[in-house]
Amino acid sequence: MRHPTDGTLRRLLDEPDGVADAERAHVAGCPPCRGRLSAVQRDAAAAATLLGVEAGTDVDAGWERLSRAVAAEERPRVAAAPGRRWRTLLRSPVAAGIGVAVVLAGAGAAAAGDWLQVFRAERIAPISAPQADLIKMPELDQFGDVVPIEPITIRPVADAAAAAKTTGLTVPRVGALPKGVTGEPTYHAGQRASALFTYRAEKAERTARDRGETLPPPPPGLDGSQFRLTGGPGFAAVWQADRPYPALVVARAIAPTAYSTGVPFETARDYLLSLPIVPPSVAAQLRAFSGDGTTLPIFMSVEHMTSTPTDVGGAPATLLISKDGSMAAVVWMDGTVVNAVAGPLRGDEVLAVARGLEPR
Amino acid sequence: MDVEGQSVAALVGRVERARKGGFVVSDGAVRADLEQVFRSAYPRVVAVAARVLGSRSEAEDVAQEVFLTFCRSAVPAAEASGWLSVAAAHTALNHLRSGRRRASREVAAGSAATVAPDIADAVVTLDERRRVRAALARLPRKQAVALVLRHSGLSYAEVAAALDLSPGSVGTTVRRAESALREELNRHASSD
Repeated sequence: MRHPTDGTLRRLLDEPDGVADAERAHVAGCPPCRGRLSAVQRDAAAAATLLGVEAGTDVDAGWERLSRAVAAEERPRVAAAPGRRWRTLLRSPVAAGIGVAVVLAGAGAAAAGDWLQVFRAERIAPISAPQADLIKMPELDQFGDVVPIEPITIRPVADAAAAAKTTGLTVPRVGALPKGVTGEPTYHAGQRASALFTYRAEKAERTARDRGETLPPPPPGLDGSQFRLTGGPGFAAVWQADRPYPALVVARAIAPTAYSTGVPFETARDYLLSLPIVPPSVAAQLRAFSGDGTTLPIFMSVEHMTSTPTDVGGAPATLLISKDGSMAAVVWMDGTVVNAVAGPLRGDEVLAVARGLEPR
Repeated sequence: MDVEGQSVAALVGRVERARKGGFVVSDGAVRADLEQVFRSAYPRVVAVAARVLGSRSEAEDVAQEVFLTFCRSAVPAAEASGWLSVAAAHTALNHLRSGRRRASREVAAGSAATVAPDIADAVVTLDERRRVRAALARLPRKQAVALVLRHSGLSYAEVAAALDLSPGSVGTTVRRAESALREELNRHASSD
């Protein structure tokens, strides 16, 4: 028979049971193989010595340290509950001020007493502003109260079929994975989430006062008027690399919708956009497309991201690339569904994945 | 807009943060099984990082970093041990390569007084230890990770699963790594 490979000899040292009987017998009776085995053994023993570490780890001390670190991260969440999650969602780094923006971008007069749709995303447009201005964007709960109705729940699900069943969305298959991305994805799915926002003039005034500004009196009917914001269901397929972060994310969700109980919307919008606490760089861009009630703004800082219009399957899309080239995302609408492909990849790689998505 | 409970934009933000090394998709809550996983896996996670770094205190820093990422992750419990070991190896190797480790601690002095008492084998001299780390940093990443995981006590099947290799090729990868480690050390010993 052929002489076993060096790899087989190496395994013979650690896990002889993992090596076939015939190969073990061969090595025992083959002087050249026994010589090779000795060399393999010498290198293995040297590596064991060179990489040796003292035994003994203080697990209790380690656990105490980790607990403190986790608690330090937790504290702000607990303090800000229960609206925190919505607030975080509505004010994530890229989506800073998105809640306000959805309200502001909404349009159409709504009749009193009814929930009328004032905003439904049909297209996406980037709003590019200096990071400092995005940070200044007021949070929705600085103008009123945000109460979760259907809380945000995200759960890992078994597979693509389970993600489709949970969300009612089509879960696409990725045609060809980018270089360096391998294996099967894990799926995470969430049901529809919704929250109720009530405008409080007094709260808005307090926010302005804290910033050294004075607000003009609100238009009649705005104080106490309510908006319902919904989004989802949605899912994400996540390819984990053998690193602590994903190599690729493909996500799909029902786009957000906003409803109003009946404030004259243009009036509210014009009032909010005129407020001295909305940065002018953002207000000007929002005003440009705030009339149609169908454009979802995606906020990005001019310092860190660039956006390029492109297309995916004939639909207009927005390609976002971080200026240091370390991540890219493409976002596009397909009917009422918003799609995203993102990862620590190049722009052409995320576009290739987006364009290569196939129905199952 | 809601993608697994998050806006797409928020997701993009989180992916952007990924390159900083702290991202695993989850609902943001701390895992309920964290303490149980920590107590069973912590010694091995520290050992894996210590094999790369040659310093137990630096390895403990890496272990904390890895568990902080893990605690909000959706990694299935059954895969936790393998995931943590691989993450520890990569994170420690990243520390080696980026020079983030406190190199001064090891190199600056060269005196026995600065040798952390937690550092491994008394047989290995300080200079050898420095050269071992340099050699590890030069090995192909997969070989370095396989070598460290195998010497940390992971079975061939566990190393294979963690690195997406066939069990049969683990022996080959480890063997190549050990052989390359010897050559690296010899080459640098003769050129020093």
